[in-house]
Amino acid sequence: MFGLPKRLTILPLFLLGLLAANATAQDPPSEESINYFRTNCASCHTIGGGRLTGPDLKGLAERKDREWLVKFLLDPKATLDAGDPYGQKLLSDARGVYMPPVAGMNKELANKLLNLIDAESALEKSKFSGFQISERPLTDLDIATGKALFNGQKALQEGGPACISCHTLSGLSGLGGGLLGPDLSGAYSRLEGRKALGAWLSSPPSVVMQPLYTNSPLDSEEVLALVAYLKATAGTGELEAESTSLEFTLAGIALAAGLMVLFDILWRKRFRSVRRTLLAQR
Amino acid sequence: MDVRSQVSMVFHLDKCIGCHTCSVACKNVWTDREGTDYMWWNNVETKPGTGYPTRWEDQDAYKGGWVSDGKELSLRSTSKSKLVPNIFHNPAQPSMDDYYEPWTYRYEDLFNAPEGDDQPTAKPVSMVTGEYIDIEAGPNWDDDLGGSEIYAKNDINMEDLSPEQRQQMLSIERMAFFYLPRICNHCLNPACVASCPSGALYKRGEDGIVLVNQDVCRAWRSCIPACPYKKTYYNWSTGKSEKCILCFPRLESGQAPACMHSCVGRIRYLGNVLYDADRIAEMALLPDDQLVEAQREMILDPFDPKVIAAAKANGISDGIIQSAQKSPVYKFLKVWKIALPLHVEYRTFPMLFYVPPLLPVMSMTQGDVVKNDLDELFADIDKHRAPMAYLGKMFTGGNIGKLRYALRKQVAVRVWRRHVTVGDIDEIKARQALAEADTTPDEATAIYKLSALAGFEERFVVPPFQREMAIEMLEDPHEYRANAGFGSRTSPKRS
Repeated sequence: MFGLPKRLTILPLFLLGLLAANATAQDPPSEESINYFRTNCASCHTIGGGRLTGPDLKGLAERKDREWLVKFLLDPKATLDAGDPYGQKLLSDARGVYMPPVAGMNKELANKLLNLIDAESALEKSKFSGFQISERPLTDLDIATGKALFNGQKALQEGGPACISCHTLSGLSGLGGGLLGPDLSGAYSRLEGRKALGAWLSSPPSVVMQPLYTNSPLDSEEVLALVAYLKATAGTGELEAESTSLEFTLAGIALAAGLMVLFDILWRKRFRSVRRTLLAQR
Repeated sequence: MDVRSQVSMVFHLDKCIGCHTCSVACKNVWTDREGTDYMWWNNVETKPGTGYPTRWEDQDAYKGGWVSDGKELSLRSTSKSKLVPNIFHNPAQPSMDDYYEPWTYRYEDLFNAPEGDDQPTAKPVSMVTGEYIDIEAGPNWDDDLGGSEIYAKNDINMEDLSPEQRQQMLSIERMAFFYLPRICNHCLNPACVASCPSGALYKRGEDGIVLVNQDVCRAWRSCIPACPYKKTYYNWSTGKSEKCILCFPRLESGQAPACMHSCVGRIRYLGNVLYDADRIAEMALLPDDQLVEAQREMILDPFDPKVIAAAKANGISDGIIQSAQKSPVYKFLKVWKIALPLHVEYRTFPMLFYVPPLLPVMSMTQGDVVKNDLDELFADIDKHRAPMAYLGKMFTGGNIGKLRYALRKQVAVRVWRRHVTVGDIDEIKARQALAEADTTPDEATAIYKLSALAGFEERFVVPPFQREMAIEMLEDPHEYRANAGFGSRTSPKRS
């Protein structure tokens, strides 16, 4: 026993690991994968609750095989662009919105999530049957509140950063908003309305927004107000945004020229060449 | 009383022939290096004219010298609050165009040009860039009233003249001009020293020569606008400022400065004077027209036992005091009162004095006839060609009385000498002229001798410098014994 090399002890451990991997395929969904689905997927997908931005995932296993689904989860955009008809259909259903790459995705996690989806699909009523947003009509007050929240004039309750720090909107006064995130002018129509937009806002899944809002999520009333505001400003296209940036550039040039003229006037008595001035006076 | 010794100078403008020998001597000795090619520590200007750099007397543009509000003296160019915002760029500096772009000629073209239909020419090239240039200005561009429609017309000293006087000066411009040789004035209250943020400029204790320490200078160029005479220059090659050093290495070995030694007209006099440094601050606050007298008051009588005692108490040696007693400057300035400072209203108390020029009218042309329509040989100074207001603006801070005194006395000396040598002016009349000019036959003779006949030793009374003693005031030479030796010092160069 003492003479045996340690290497041999690795083999049984490896076999044990394989067993464990297999075991996950049959185990009930773990708490971890439930949380993951909630924060990353639920903003666009329901299980049995109908379409949001992305399709309803109930009965997913019947639509495509596991191998394709895993491949899709690992790189959604590449799979959609690969050109197979199902991918095309998905893209057109989502009105051209690609599924964003999912944070921390790997093969094992993909399998766990698909297991979870299968398990939830089998249930009569899944706990992911849909994000519930109030159906009450949106008022002018909502729009005003939404505007204040967007601009950061009113702080978000949980302390999340205001939208304007990264996003702009056409028709936003002053210098506009930040340019880190996309222009949100078309967000309402892109996400097909209230429910999907609300779901997105309740738990933003994008790589940049997720870490910011996981610990300081938006309150449901705030979500509603922002939806109202984005709806009110929707429809003003991105073409207008282009012209805004041209105006902005022109305004910058005009301001710089104005400042130069101002300095020239303020400093008009500055020293200039004495001899050339004499020659010019002649 | 804080008695100090200052090496001081007198330039006798009536004797200057405008030959620029002084400028060339100075250039050959001191400013023949790269970066100094545009500098003329000594230059000769034609007056009326704008001088070098162009219109240097225009302190509204160049911001040189001091201004007084009666209580306090302040620099026109800078102050504690202006220093920081302007530290990297002093706005009121003359540009190279205001000095002139130095040039040479491509002489080799004269020999190397291929054969052609035309004579080869040596084209001018800039000494700064090496490129071909069109020469537009030079350090004496308006010499002998050249281009006077631009230059003489813009002489700032003519500002106070009436339109008629101005017209008169310009219409007879080809006759009424004189030369003004200028070097650093080694002022008692130097604005350049006061303006330097690095403390690189200093006034030497033993002789008052103002110098730039090349190791300390940091090229802030504060001295350039501050000096109202524009006699500090920036060396663009070494990145340090330079100025006239009054040839101190020559003075220390008992020789006259190069410009003075080479002077053809023998217009230059050098000697030390004793002055009271305690009174500078108070005197500099006086109104413009009192400044000439104030400066004279500060120059002390080297024969006065009290002054001698105070000088000795201040560490001034017997040799320096004796030299001050023989100083030609003291005679011109204090005894005869015919030497005047240039632009005393800049309040730096320049220690280079000028005997103002007479510019008498001898004859006039009327049609084709040259006519002497004067009753007397020596006309009254008011009939001279340069208006009093013009000379007064330059030499007395507007105090015409001081100027008249100096000019009258010079005329009286001529009347007296005419009586002595030619005899066509009778003695009574000659004595009357002397009395009217507040002088005596003896004094007139002395003025005549020092002006016209003085030899080298009388014109240049170089004080004994005793550098070996001066250095002991600062450090103990024994400490450095056996430490110094043979070697070389590196020249200040940008690395």
